[in-house]
Amino acid sequence: MKILAVCQNGLGSSFIVQMNIQNILKEENVDTSNISVDHADVGSTGADSADYFFTDKTLADNLNVPKDKVIPLNSLIDKEETKKDINKILKKENIDFDAN
Amino acid sequence: MVLSKLLTNQTVKYEKSFHGNWEDAIKLAADPLVIDSTIDKKYVNSMIDNVKKEGPYINIGSEIALAHARPNNHVKKIGLSFLKTGNEINLIDKKHPIKLWFVLAAIDNTSHLDVIKELMNILMDSKKLDLLLNANSQTQLLNAFNEPNNASK
Repeated sequence: MKILAVCQNGLGSSFIVQMNIQNILKEENVDTSNISVDHADVGSTGADSADYFFTDKTLADNLNVPKDKVIPLNSLIDKEETKKDINKILKKENIDFDAN
Repeated sequence: MVLSKLLTNQTVKYEKSFHGNWEDAIKLAADPLVIDSTIDKKYVNSMIDNVKKEGPYINIGSEIALAHARPNNHVKKIGLSFLKTGNEINLIDKKHPIKLWFVLAAIDNTSHLDVIKELMNILMDSKKLDLLLNANSQTQLLNAFNEPNNASK
């Protein structure tokens, strides 16, 4: 499974989200051998780039990927918000995690 | 600590009552980096143009903006500067009120990531974020940035 954090420039905001996702997976003791997390800019992102796309909600409509793959975030630095979305995905994909 | 070298009494500013719009706030926040030649004015304009074109996506958290643009030849080295406005300034519209204005200058896609990591350790530490949001002088802001880091949750 590939998760991609996307922002306008692929420099700052997307990396913040990537960092949060990686920390969350680690805290929840998720086996990440089959999960990759990366960041990219809107321009270079297509439907095939990943399975799930995390992005700022103001950019969500600019993303050229199927809507059901897009997770719009209200706040990029709110780890709790990101965590809820990540846990939803983990449940859907039947991946074990430590809920807390 | 990369951050403590970048956020100094030269690059951190406090404006008790700021008269201007979001563009003025980004310009003022970026000013120290223009003065020390980290960036030139064209980089400042490209940060502003990005927001005009793409919307307020630099509003990364409640009351926080991280202005930046793609690395280009108007950036000489990695830079970070900061302005706190005592009053909220709307980024584009009322849905995006900002008090903490960061300006990031990057020279490539990777070398600034440590700076972002350290910055996020501060902004995601609710105690430190409160210190920044409650600060009403440059000294208090610098103290907040230099507080020993608690294990971020």
